[in-house]
Amino acid sequence: MPGEGARRAPVRIDVEELGKSYGSFAALDNVSLTVRPGELLALLGPSGSGKTTLLRAIAGLTATEEGTIRFDGEDATTLSLRERRVGFVFQQYALFRHMTVFDNVAFGLRVRPRDERPRAGEIARRVRRLLELVQLPGLERRFPSQLSGGQRQRVALARALAIEPNVLLLDEPFGALDAKVRKELRRWLRELHTETGLTTIFVTHDQEEALELADRVVIMREGKVEQVGTPADIYDEPATPYVCEFLGGVARFETNAKDGEADILGSTFPVESDGDYSGPALAYVRAHEIEIVSRELAQGVPAVIRAVRPFGPTVTVELSIEGRAERIEAEVPRELHSGGELGLGQGVFIRAVSARIFPVI
Amino acid sequence: MAIDPLAIDTARIPAGNTPQRARFRTPLSEVPWVKFGLIAIAVAFLALMLVLPLAAVFAEAFRRGVEPFLAALVEPDALSAVRLTLFVAAISVPANLLFGLVASWAIAKFQFKGKSFLITLIDLPFSVSPVISGLVYILLFGSYGFLGPWLIANGYQIVFAVPGIVLATIFVTFPFVARQLIPLMEQQGTTEEEAALSLGAGGLQTFWSVTLPNVKWALLYGVLLCNARAMGEFGAVSVVSGHIRGKTNTMPLHVEILYNEYNFVAAFAVATLLALLALVTLVLKSALEWRYGGELAAHGRH
Repeated sequence: MPGEGARRAPVRIDVEELGKSYGSFAALDNVSLTVRPGELLALLGPSGSGKTTLLRAIAGLTATEEGTIRFDGEDATTLSLRERRVGFVFQQYALFRHMTVFDNVAFGLRVRPRDERPRAGEIARRVRRLLELVQLPGLERRFPSQLSGGQRQRVALARALAIEPNVLLLDEPFGALDAKVRKELRRWLRELHTETGLTTIFVTHDQEEALELADRVVIMREGKVEQVGTPADIYDEPATPYVCEFLGGVARFETNAKDGEADILGSTFPVESDGDYSGPALAYVRAHEIEIVSRELAQGVPAVIRAVRPFGPTVTVELSIEGRAERIEAEVPRELHSGGELGLGQGVFIRAVSARIFPVI
Repeated sequence: MAIDPLAIDTARIPAGNTPQRARFRTPLSEVPWVKFGLIAIAVAFLALMLVLPLAAVFAEAFRRGVEPFLAALVEPDALSAVRLTLFVAAISVPANLLFGLVASWAIAKFQFKGKSFLITLIDLPFSVSPVISGLVYILLFGSYGFLGPWLIANGYQIVFAVPGIVLATIFVTFPFVARQLIPLMEQQGTTEEEAALSLGAGGLQTFWSVTLPNVKWALLYGVLLCNARAMGEFGAVSVVSGHIRGKTNTMPLHVEILYNEYNFVAAFAVATLLALLALVTLVLKSALEWRYGGELAAHGRH
């Protein structure tokens, strides 16, 4: 029982060269991945990137054509669903609509073979404890249709935890909820993970959610793993142009590199490659990495202020520069705005403080 | 200087300034005469086309009093017709229940080639005239038919006997259960089954504890309709039965024979039984909807 006295050691998952295709479409293309025991891992990617297929393959709900999945070194691809003991939370929760909350949570215990099945009193005790864990005591007699989205989500979690799973897998756990409930549940899931200590994987297409919640994030693209790393790694050191663009909030520039360096918005930065790369390159600059320089200094690139959005901790300024159709967004300190230096149509100078530059191969 | 509120010149506000606003009506409601007019037309039509004939059946049956009515019901040929009808329903309804479940399961939960063809095929008995449905069995199992000569030579009488009636009834009532289940099961999808399996349930456990309970009301509803049709089927059964009194006459056929013999009281007496069956089916159906309406609606939502 998670959260109870004798806690089992969390399970390590090794995914080795996993492949799965639907016709000519490769849903998973040679995916290898190690999930560390007890970590909270996010699979992040747009729809069609294979993240849900990977999750379902680990759960044993989708058969794969190539590769192996190991739980603590043991080949799980040969195990039945029951033997895998995977707690799976479905995107739309998939609660049994004709059963009460109590029966839903008790289901996994009641369908066990007779000799492994706990007695009715024991089942009731465990269900009640789980409902306390997911903060839903007193709702045992309700039907799923009588619950809010957030409550259903918690029931689905309690039901998945009832089988004392080896790993907990969640498919878009917050996808169907509104923004406020999402934030609350996010924090709560983090706490629950700390409490249960289970190896947990969740799928999401929301980069903010993944970076905020997970210990490590796997970014997927077209059935392949694009980058694996801690949220800080991924944010600070995006490995590819794709990751930069997927994380969003960046301005993209096409430029030319010479001897391993490229100029961008009045500054020079190294290219992310071995050796002295020369040739076409892509540069990504985040909004908060763009500085508005006072006119007196006249450093950087001349720009014109097109719009100012003065809400939030910083002020977002839309700028246009010569030779570029799209506007550039810069996040600047509020003082600049209150100082009256950000008039519409005003000419300023902007400069990149930092940038990531990738060679175009 | 403080302003005296009373000093405001009220005379400057023109009298009768409040405009006569039309009383607000919700956009979807109608004026009363339209509303009641429509209801009256519907009720009159129902009364003329449905209630009056039904009342006529009972009126005719009791025209000469209760005794001839009862006599017509306990007459041996009538009893034999009732027995045969119940017997045919007792075979064809479970058969179609089983088939309907299997077919809808296959159609709703799996992807395979020829799926839409199968759906069309299930609907075939609805679109084919019952007379044709009967005739195909004559062509297949009759003495000049495709399989008939061999079967008859081996002592199996299908047409003009009970097996033919059962076959024709199964054919005609084929779609009822499946038609009820397929849309519901397709809408429900397979995630609940997946959830049950991932929680460690076996295939049969999943079927009994998740799939079946989710469709039980639709299933029951389909069975009710299937049963009503199985007992009331006339056309197809008439073709294959051979109308042998006391042997191959079902209730609807018995009614026709009596009527053709100008034995109106007896004909309508047996007809009341069929009418009662229809009423019982209706009441059961309404009771189901009333008792489990919330749950049925909940199924639709979720």
